[in-house]
Amino acid sequence: MMSDIRHSLLRRDALSAAKEVLYHLDIYFSSQLQNAPVPMVEKGPIELLEEFIFQIPKDRGSHSKRLTAMQELQLLEILCNYFQDQTKEPVRQVIFSSLFSPQGSKADEQRMALLGKLTSMAVAVCRLPVLECAASWLQRTPAVYCVRLAKALVGDYCGLVPGSIQTLKQIFNVSPRFCCQFITAVAALYDMSTEELIPPHDLLEMIVSWIFEDPRLILITFLNTPITANLPIGYLDFSPLMGLVRWCVIAPLAYRRKQKAAGGGPVVEEQNLYSKLHLSVLQGLMVLQTHLTEKSLYGRLALILFDQLVPLVEELGQLCEELNPLNAEQEMELALDRLAQALQVSMATGALLCTRDDLRTLCARLPHNNLMQLVVSGPVQPQPAHPSLTPAYYPHIHTPPLGYPTLPAHAALPTHAALPTHTALPTHAALPTHTAIPTHTPIPAHAALPTHTALPTHPALPAHAALPAHPALPGHPVQTFMPGMTFPFRPMR
Amino acid sequence: MISLQPQGVTPQLSPQELSLQIKSFLSGSDPQHGQKLSLRDHARCSLLLLRCLPSARHAVLEHLRSVFHDSVSSFLNERDSQDCLPQSSSSQRRGPPPSTPGLDEVTQEVQKVLEEFIKLNPRAWAPLISAWSIELMGQLSSKHANRQGMPHSTSLNELLQLWMSCGATRVLMDIYTLCLSTMIDSCPDACVDALLDTSVQHSPHFDWVVAHIGNSFPSTIISRVLSCGLKDFCAHSSTSETSEKRVPKLGSVVGILGHLSSRHGNSIRQEILRMFHESLRPGSKQQRATLPYLLQLAALSPSLLGTVCQDLVDSLKPSTLSQLQQHCSTLPRDELDNMLNLCIHLASQTSTGAPRLLRFLLDTAMPASVITTPGLAVHDSVRDACDRIVRLLLLSLQKQVYGRTGGRAASDAPPKAVPFLDAMRGHLPELCAEMLRLERKRHLWLHQLLGLLCIYSSPPCAPEALCLLLTLAHSSEELGLAVQLHAVLSSSMQGLAQAAVTRCVAQVHAGALTDKRALQLLQNMTLIVQSEESGMGREVGTALSDYLPDFGQLLLHSNPGVCEAACLLLCCCPLPSSLPPAQLHLLIRSSSFLLFHSMHIRSSAGVSSASRLLLRLCKASHAGKKAVLHQLVEGALHQGNVGLFGGDGMKDVAQKLEGASASLLENNNHLGSTVDFSGSVWSVFHAGVIGSGLKPEEKDRVIGQVECTENTQSLLSLLSSCCAKNGEEDGQLITLDPEAAKTLAVTITECACPDVTNSELSWPPEEHARTTVQRDLLIYTCFRKSPLLFLLLHLVAQGCPALCYCSVLLRGLLATLLAYWEASRESSTTDSPWHLMASCELVSCMGEGQLLPPALANMHEMFSLLAPYEVRLLLLSVWDFVRANGPFPQRFVFQASKAIFSRDFTREGDPAKYMDIVHSVLHRNVDRLGLLSGRFQV
Repeated sequence: MMSDIRHSLLRRDALSAAKEVLYHLDIYFSSQLQNAPVPMVEKGPIELLEEFIFQIPKDRGSHSKRLTAMQELQLLEILCNYFQDQTKEPVRQVIFSSLFSPQGSKADEQRMALLGKLTSMAVAVCRLPVLECAASWLQRTPAVYCVRLAKALVGDYCGLVPGSIQTLKQIFNVSPRFCCQFITAVAALYDMSTEELIPPHDLLEMIVSWIFEDPRLILITFLNTPITANLPIGYLDFSPLMGLVRWCVIAPLAYRRKQKAAGGGPVVEEQNLYSKLHLSVLQGLMVLQTHLTEKSLYGRLALILFDQLVPLVEELGQLCEELNPLNAEQEMELALDRLAQALQVSMATGALLCTRDDLRTLCARLPHNNLMQLVVSGPVQPQPAHPSLTPAYYPHIHTPPLGYPTLPAHAALPTHAALPTHTALPTHAALPTHTAIPTHTPIPAHAALPTHTALPTHPALPAHAALPAHPALPGHPVQTFMPGMTFPFRPMR
Repeated sequence: MISLQPQGVTPQLSPQELSLQIKSFLSGSDPQHGQKLSLRDHARCSLLLLRCLPSARHAVLEHLRSVFHDSVSSFLNERDSQDCLPQSSSSQRRGPPPSTPGLDEVTQEVQKVLEEFIKLNPRAWAPLISAWSIELMGQLSSKHANRQGMPHSTSLNELLQLWMSCGATRVLMDIYTLCLSTMIDSCPDACVDALLDTSVQHSPHFDWVVAHIGNSFPSTIISRVLSCGLKDFCAHSSTSETSEKRVPKLGSVVGILGHLSSRHGNSIRQEILRMFHESLRPGSKQQRATLPYLLQLAALSPSLLGTVCQDLVDSLKPSTLSQLQQHCSTLPRDELDNMLNLCIHLASQTSTGAPRLLRFLLDTAMPASVITTPGLAVHDSVRDACDRIVRLLLLSLQKQVYGRTGGRAASDAPPKAVPFLDAMRGHLPELCAEMLRLERKRHLWLHQLLGLLCIYSSPPCAPEALCLLLTLAHSSEELGLAVQLHAVLSSSMQGLAQAAVTRCVAQVHAGALTDKRALQLLQNMTLIVQSEESGMGREVGTALSDYLPDFGQLLLHSNPGVCEAACLLLCCCPLPSSLPPAQLHLLIRSSSFLLFHSMHIRSSAGVSSASRLLLRLCKASHAGKKAVLHQLVEGALHQGNVGLFGGDGMKDVAQKLEGASASLLENNNHLGSTVDFSGSVWSVFHAGVIGSGLKPEEKDRVIGQVECTENTQSLLSLLSSCCAKNGEEDGQLITLDPEAAKTLAVTITECACPDVTNSELSWPPEEHARTTVQRDLLIYTCFRKSPLLFLLLHLVAQGCPALCYCSVLLRGLLATLLAYWEASRESSTTDSPWHLMASCELVSCMGEGQLLPPALANMHEMFSLLAPYEVRLLLLSVWDFVRANGPFPQRFVFQASKAIFSRDFTREGDPAKYMDIVHSVLHRNVDRLGLLSGRFQV
């Protein structure tokens, strides 16, 4: 059948062939979807698409006929309109993924280029279906490709045309799911390891404004996805949490380093943005806690993996060493404070599952910081207040309503956020976070082990306390954790 | 249509409006009303998209491209139609051609928008837009290149003028310039890359752009073009692609640099050198590729090679060299070999810097010596490498030279030039001089190079080189190099020795050589001719024989050494079988002059060499013999020379002229080295300079007795050798050839007595002597001045009948002596020593010449013991005898047994009657002369 289509298309000009191939495949997949809930994407359609959309010649002899930029724009419009007009969500998804899933072939270059342009255009003309498809694509695709898409979008909207960031910003109102994935990808792209990988100002400002407006944004993907408990390696995280924590912690030092190299003045504005971001991230963590408990996942699923923390802490240590002679005490203090706060809150909210011993060994090399000291050593109370809870993990402090929690710790946090250059004192003002939770159970890891083995769901776990968060066997992509939700598209609003 | 805000922030369009805009941009028509958009509206629509839809920027730029195309086309059409207008309306052409106003506005709008973008975010926009504008300019220039009325792509200025008067292209150029100037501090590579690529694609038609930009940003363009080329080179070399793909980009690098080199050659040179030195610094990034890259670049552009080569060589200090060596030692072998080959190729292509390059290579490749300063010595491995380079270079030159001549026979194409050799041609003298220093290894290399050079530029070069070597060589070892060179070349060149000799002669005659050099040259040539075993000696000898007159002139050179050397050369070079008389005479005149001149300056070497030459010439032919004898006698009796042989003529001849600084004789000698005397050498011997009186006297040239004797001896032995019978060796007892002796006699007579009246051989009665008093007095003065005459007469007397031809002289002298003794009132003849001597000599001479019988001839033995009147009586009897028995050659009889002529007096009547007076004088003085009486028995 595919060869019939191919023969009929060979004689058409590039654009109408592209249009027709979409038409044919639409019919093909629609009929398939009626037979099976999850259509098999075969090789045939993908080859057709490669030949007639991406203009990769099938026969070795014929040379590739590149589309002109004009034709390409027309093609983009055709694609945009197609996704807009196709009402059936599954068909859209299948078409989109057969169009743009990397195949490891040489068409991938064109694929990524076209995807970048298509997404960029969809952003400009607010095509929700395309953006939703793109969001799913970001979830299903290895991170290297996701990063490229993010790069393309950032390139288009941050700086190329002055003021165009506004166009991107409004996407928040159109597809928060896409926004969430986009942030994750951007956080993976700009990991602050070098000067070039510090996020541009416009981008940062936009992301901060998004998250600040609604911290739940960073959890959307997590909430809408069937949780395969172990994340395949090389894919984006469920949430941008880890990436954003990294931004907040590294930022003061990274900017300081950039200053040293470029010799510019201090960037107060940026640092304010990071403070704001830090606050939002902590708030997001608080929200996470409610969701975790709601789904009775608390203590069983870590959104911030301990393994991801290790490189962060190491990098922080290196940066501290590197910048030590430069009178960067303030920045170091700030970075360590933020790290301590993030650790504390994420442990408290169940986003991070680990013992204090692990934490202690991890942070041993970092320069001294009072707050960190407190977080690592934990509360002094020996008696567990809630013996019914699993003693190895921090229980939630309160059981807040679904709205924003009003913690004493919270009251302290904005203060901190507003004062990026604060002295040691405001940090100590943040101490109530810990004093407010005197009832926590600071049980060492080994003490936790016997209790842990008693858990019914994990009968034969190794001695690692952090591991219970990975119950499913590796290599089994079975989506049985939340069995009711096969294709869960549940936008927040 | 939604009107466009030309500047400021992005207009906020709703997504729906934006979709409409996209539609109308793509379809080219108004989506609401359906009518077609005007060009201008379409362009504005595209600009709007550029602001609002980033992903559409490529499409927009593509559309704008067509706008510029239209604009340029309409401009050119306007221009053409104006050209077609009659001349009367040409005044309208002064103003800029009115192109479509809409289009111009649009292009300016585009410029505004794009420039705004570039200023706001240069990093993102400048590479994109610069590439776009450059490519567009490339397309435009190529597209319209063949249009009628377009200036040819070689007339760069006209093209530039034309395109800059076109609004659209000017806008593009401005845009590109802006891109470049905003990016110039951070990373202009992106912009320059595009320039290079486009330049490759649209090369000749695009040059005006490169020229314009290059002149606006020379330093940036130069360094960037170089570094872009390097990057490209790196990229291609890492994937180890074939070199064909590498060429275009390099080609355009070369093209651009070539274009800029006329004005900015210095910066190019500095930049390239900087790159080179940077690449040597350890740890530089593109270290590996830089060297091959630069080499490749130089290989593609001779002008670049020329600009860089000289300075490069200067900057290669020992430290740099060892760095280079370390750097190269890390390279893989085949890469190294490639580089080496390329180096060799480049070296053979070097032209202006060739001599310096050669010197550098040789200096570096020379083995270390004790004299080398320790700090300046190069590392051994560097030296070895250099040694290898030198040998390979020579090998490659050899291939080129010999391959060239081989190819010429096959086709008529002009032979391929080898710039290195072309450049070295002008430095032939240095090359030769350096080679002759005979430093180890070096002179072998140079010798090889010289050989190649000679073959390469065969007509003028080989003879010149040989000539130089002949001039400069000081030892036989050095001269050996010339012989070797000749041996190498002679197989491939004909008439080489001939040409070399011609050139040598020309050099000498042009006065291009100092005396010392000329001397050396002559000596060397002599040496070569004498070393018979080599073919060169023979060839040079034959060649020399064509230039005998020229060397003959050298005999008159002011430097005695040169004269002598020339003389020796002439002695050993073979004479042609038939020497033209003019040449022969010239040689003879010159050499005889040389002989006397050498005597004047007391140079015995000169005397002997001149004698050798004269003897040689004398034996060359019969005429030669005559001429030699004539010249010798004439010279010996000449006023200027008589002093040499004990005469005192000069003191009498002229008065001294005070204040005269130079002698005319010397002046004439100097003239002699350049002027070919047509007549006798003495014929231009003036009596003096008009206005300054008579010729100035030789100043007190007192010649001692010893010198006189020596001179006399040499002259006489020479004369006798000349007159010797053929086949008689020198050193043996010589028998004179009668013919030669006759010639000698006649010559003497002519010289001593130019007056020929009454000069028949037979003697008149003694009384008749009175009629020839004047002539006799002349003869007397002549004898008086040069005592040599007596010796000459003695010599003549040896060749027997010859003295007859001197009878005039004998008669004249005898007549004056008779008169003297008659008038003398002294008591003893010893009071008049000269007359006594003359009487004795005369009589003994006549006796030797067999004009008198021995009994009569012996009478001179007693002259010193007699009174003057007795002597007169005796002499009278001599006269009587001779008058009666005339001095005729026919009286002599050839005696075959002895192979001589002799005279038998017994058959000529009784001589006793002439002995009466002798006997009576004997009687009268028998107390003193009794002892002698036995001598006078008949």
